[in-house]
Amino acid sequence: MKALQRRTLLTATAVLATVGLAVTALPAQAAEVGVTASQIKLGMTLPMTGTASLGYNKIPGAAKAYFDYLNANGGINGRKITLVVKDDRYVPTEAVAKTNELILKDKVMALLAPLGTANVKAVATSVNPARRGVPVLFVNTGFSGFADTKKYPTTYTVLPSYIMEAKIMGEYIKENFAGKKIGLLYQDDDFGIDALAGFKTAGVNFAVKVPYASGSQSAASAAGWITKFKAAEADVVILFGVSSATSAMLGTAAQLGYKPQWMLGSVGGDATTIKLTGVPAGVLYNAIGFSPVPATTDMTDEYVKFFSDIYAKAVPGSAFDLNVLLGMNTAFMTAQALKAAGPNPTRKSLMAAIDSKGATFASSALVPAGYSKTSHVGLTGYWVGKYAPTGDLAPIGGTYVTYTTDSGSGPVVKSTYKRPAMPAKGLPN
Amino acid sequence: MQLLNTLLIGITAGSIYSLMAIAFVLVWRSTRVVNFAQAGMALLSTYFGYEAVSRLGSFWIALPVAMIGGALFAALVELVLMRLLVKHASSGPIAGVAPIIATLGLLGVIRSVISMIWGGQDLRIVAPISNNGFTINGSTLVFSPLKLLVLVVVVVLLILLSILFQKTNLGLALRASAHAPEIARLSGVRVDSVRTLGWALAGAAGAVAGLFQTVNGNGNFSPDSIDFSLLLVSGFIAAVIGGLDSLLGAVLGGLFLGISISFVLMYISSGLFFIAPFVILLIVLFVRPQGIIGVKAGRRA
Amino acid sequence: MHKSKKQSTHLPLFILGGIVLVILSGIVDELRVYQGATIAVYVIAISSIILLTGYSGQVSLGHGALMAVGAYAAAVLRAEFNVPIILCFIAAVLAAAVGGTLLGAAAARLSGPYLAGTTLALAIGLPSLANQFPILGGEQGLAFDVGFPPLALGEDFTQYKWYFWIAALAALISMWSVRNILNSAYGRSWRAGRGNEVAAQLAGINTARSKVLAFTISAGIAGLAGALLAMTIGTVSPSAFPLALSFSLLTGAVLSGISTLGGVIIGSVVLVAIPEIADVVAHRLGSSESVTTNLPGLIVSGLLILTVLFVPNGPVEQHRARKAKHEAAHNSTKK
Repeated sequence: MKALQRRTLLTATAVLATVGLAVTALPAQAAEVGVTASQIKLGMTLPMTGTASLGYNKIPGAAKAYFDYLNANGGINGRKITLVVKDDRYVPTEAVAKTNELILKDKVMALLAPLGTANVKAVATSVNPARRGVPVLFVNTGFSGFADTKKYPTTYTVLPSYIMEAKIMGEYIKENFAGKKIGLLYQDDDFGIDALAGFKTAGVNFAVKVPYASGSQSAASAAGWITKFKAAEADVVILFGVSSATSAMLGTAAQLGYKPQWMLGSVGGDATTIKLTGVPAGVLYNAIGFSPVPATTDMTDEYVKFFSDIYAKAVPGSAFDLNVLLGMNTAFMTAQALKAAGPNPTRKSLMAAIDSKGATFASSALVPAGYSKTSHVGLTGYWVGKYAPTGDLAPIGGTYVTYTTDSGSGPVVKSTYKRPAMPAKGLPN
Repeated sequence: MQLLNTLLIGITAGSIYSLMAIAFVLVWRSTRVVNFAQAGMALLSTYFGYEAVSRLGSFWIALPVAMIGGALFAALVELVLMRLLVKHASSGPIAGVAPIIATLGLLGVIRSVISMIWGGQDLRIVAPISNNGFTINGSTLVFSPLKLLVLVVVVVLLILLSILFQKTNLGLALRASAHAPEIARLSGVRVDSVRTLGWALAGAAGAVAGLFQTVNGNGNFSPDSIDFSLLLVSGFIAAVIGGLDSLLGAVLGGLFLGISISFVLMYISSGLFFIAPFVILLIVLFVRPQGIIGVKAGRRA
Repeated sequence: MHKSKKQSTHLPLFILGGIVLVILSGIVDELRVYQGATIAVYVIAISSIILLTGYSGQVSLGHGALMAVGAYAAAVLRAEFNVPIILCFIAAVLAAAVGGTLLGAAAARLSGPYLAGTTLALAIGLPSLANQFPILGGEQGLAFDVGFPPLALGEDFTQYKWYFWIAALAALISMWSVRNILNSAYGRSWRAGRGNEVAAQLAGINTARSKVLAFTISAGIAGLAGALLAMTIGTVSPSAFPLALSFSLLTGAVLSGISTLGGVIIGSVVLVAIPEIADVVAHRLGSSESVTTNLPGLIVSGLLILTVLFVPNGPVEQHRARKAKHEAAHNSTKK
C-alpha cells in the first residue's frame, strides 16, 4: 500500500514535472508580441490619401508585393508576414492615433517605413516606441536626426540623409563647376534646412536661392521660380525638392525654352515619376542626378529586374518607380533582418540582428549601410550619374562612381563598396 | 523683363481665378449661398472632361461635355440638396451656417467618391494648343498661345453672361429672383427654376476653370491636386474682392489677386505662398470693405 | 427640467463627472485611454465652436489656426524657457485669445460667407508661417513635453493615462466655464444678437463688441484645445493643424447640435470613432483599397450633410423642439 502510494506519488511528480517543462517551454515559442507559430505581424502608417500621398501611397503595395512573394516561398521559417497599413494623411495627430492602434490593438511586432519627419517625431514622443521596445525599421525620410540612438534607440534610418546628399553635390560642383553661378530651389522646411546645412559644410556659394512652401509647387509657381533664376543668370540650377516640384520646374522650363545645367536631388529625381507627368525626356537629358539605388529602368541590374518582375505580377498596370523600388527594398531588408533574428524572433533579437549583420544585408543600394552596435545610420552615400537621351539616369561613362560621407563635417570620399550579390530566388538565407 | 514676366504670370493665374470667381458670383446671385463645393464640382467636371478626351480624342469636344456635365451636376445639387436645406434648415441657430456646412460636406463627398471611382493617382489631359512661350527679341515670355486662349475665354464668358443678364428676359428673371424673390414670384417668374439655372451656369463656368487650370499646369490632376484647393480659396477670395455680386468685379478681383500674389512671391519671398492670399484679402477688406465693385452693405449678407 | 436651479452653476455635477472619468480611466485599456484624451481635446475645441457659431452666430473655418496659436505659445514657453506646464496652458489660452480678438475685430465687419472665407484663408495660411521663424521649429515641429506622471500615482500609471487626466480635467473646467458664460448676461446678449441684430441694438446691446468678445473667448478655449492636442502628440508642427482639422471641428459641432453644449460629447466621440467604424465596415465588405482608404472621409462628409438636412439643430435640440411642439399642441387642445 505504502509502496503503491509512493509510486503513485513518484509518477504524479514526474507527470507534473513534464507538464511543467512543457508549460515553461510553450511561452518561449510564442513569447513575442506580433509573432505566432504561423505569422509575423508588422505595421505601417503613411499618407494613403491627401496631397502628400502622391507616389508614397504605392509603398505599401510594393512592400506587400515582396512579402506575398516571400510568403508563397515559405515565409520566414514557415511564418508568413502580414503587413497592416493605416492611412495617416501626413498629419502627426493621425500618425500617433494610427500607430497607437497598430501597437495596442493590432499588436504588431515592429513598425515599418513610417513617413515624414514631423510624423515620426510625434510618434517617437507620444507613442514612444522606444520605451515599449518596439523597433521602428527603416524610416522613410532623409532627416539626419533619427540616427541619434540616444533619442531614438529603437529607430533605424535607411535613406542617406539630406545633409550627405548636399555635401556630395557640393563636392561634385567643386570638381566640375568651379566658378559657375549656382542656383538652388529648396523646400522651406527641414528638408531644405538640412540641405542648406550640407551645402554650407561643402562650401557652396549660391548666386540665387529660391525657397518654396511645401504644397505650393505647380507649373504656375515654377514660372515664377524660373524668372528668378533667369534674372540671376544662374549657370547651374539645383532642384532639391520633391518630384512634383522637379516636374513642374522641368515642364515649365521646356515651355519657356530655359536650359541651364540641371542638377536633381534624389528625392525628386526619379525619371519614371517625372516622365509620367508629361515632362519630355529631352529636357532631362544631360542633367546631373544622384541616387543610392540603381535607376529603376536599368533591367540589367539583377535587383531591379527581380523586383520589377514581382511588382508587375502583383500590381499590374502600375509603373515601377523609385518609391516602389525603395518600398520593396525595405521589405527585402526587413525579411533578412527577421531571418537573422533567429528561429523565434523577438523585438530584441530583431534589432540585435540589424546591429550585427545589417551592414552586410543584400540590398539593391550601391552604397554601404552604416548599421552597427553603435550606429543606426542607413545608407551613407550616392552615385552620380547623368540622364541619358531617353531621360533615364545612367552612370557617367558606364561605371557607377559612388561617394560616401556622413551627416557631420566628415569628408566626402569615393567609395570602393561592392554590394552583395542577390541571394538565390531573392529569398533571405 | 522680370517685371513683365511677373505681370504675365499674375494675369494668367488671375484669369483662372476669375473663372472660378464668376462661378461663385453666379451661385451667390441666384441663391445667396457661397458654394464651398465649387472647386469639388470643377474637379468632377474635369474628370468628365478627361473621360470625354480619352474616348473622343479631342479637347474641343471635351470642353462642352465637361461644361454640360458640370451644369447638370450643379443643377442636381441645387434641386436636391439646396431645396431640402431651405425646407429643413432655415430656422434656428443653424440657419446662418447651414449652407456653408452643407457645401463643405458636399466637397468631402465629391472628393471621396472621385477617389473611389478613379483612384488617387494622377491623370492627364494634354493641352489643345501650344503652351510654349512667345519669343520676343530672343527672350521667351511667360505667355503662350494657351494662356492667351484662357484670357480670351474669360473675356468671352464675361461678355456672354453680361448679355444674358442685361439683355434677355431670362437675365431679368435671374436678377429679379436674386434681389426680390417674392416680387419676382408675384410677377410670374418661376423663381425656383431660375435658381437652378443660376447653379447650372456656375457649374459650367467651374468646369471651364477646372479644365483650363489643369491644361495650363502640366496637365496632371488627381483628387488631391493642390491646384483645386487653390481654386477654392483663390476663386472665393477673388469673388469677395470683386464684391461677390458682380461678374465684372469677379474678373477684376481675380486679376488683382493673381497679379498681387505674383508680385509678392517674386519680390518678397516665394515661401509666402499660403499666407499671401489671406493678407491680401484682409487688406482689401479693411481698405475697401465693399469690394472693388459692390454696394455698401455687401458684406452683411 | 431644472428651471428652478437656474442660478446654480452645476458644480457638483461636473465634480461627479470628473470622478466617473477617473474611475473609467482605470478600467479601459491603454488605446481607449489615449482615445479618451483625444475626445477630451475635441470636447474643448468643439465647445469653442458651439459658443461662437451656435450662440453668437459667427462661423469660423479657421479654428484650427487658433488652436495652432495656442499650441505654439505653450510649446515655445516650455521648450525655450522651461515654464511650468500649468502656466503654458494658461499662456495658450491668452495667446489664442489675443489672436481671436484681432480676428474678431476683423470679423465684426464681416458676416456669413465673408467671415467663413476669411477664416478659411487663415486656416490655410497661418500654420505655414511656422516655417518662416526658426524658433517655431519648422516643419518637423517643436517638442512639447508635459513630463511624466507624478510618482505618487504609482508605477503602472501610464503616460496616456496622465494625458487623459490632464485633458479631462481641462475639458471639465472649460465646459463648466462655457456653460456659465452662456448663461450669463453675455450669453444672452449673443443669443439676442444672433436672433435679430437690429432688435438687439435697440435693446441697448453693443452687438459689435459682443461679437468680438465671443470671438475672444472662443479663441481662448480653442487655444487650450490646441495646447492639449500638442500634449497628446508630444510635438507641435504645422502639419498637425491642417484645414481638415478646422472642418472636423465644425462637423463635430454640427453633429453635437450647433447650439447645445451638452451634445458636445456626441460630436467628439463620433469624430474619434468614425475611422475605426469605417475600418470595420470596409473589412466586412472586403472592398478594394481605394474604397477602404476613402471610406472614412465619405462617412464624415455624408454624415455632415445628412445631419444638416435632417437634424439641423442637433439631436438634443431636435428632441426639445419636438417636445415643445407636442406640449404646445397639448396646451392648445386643453384651451
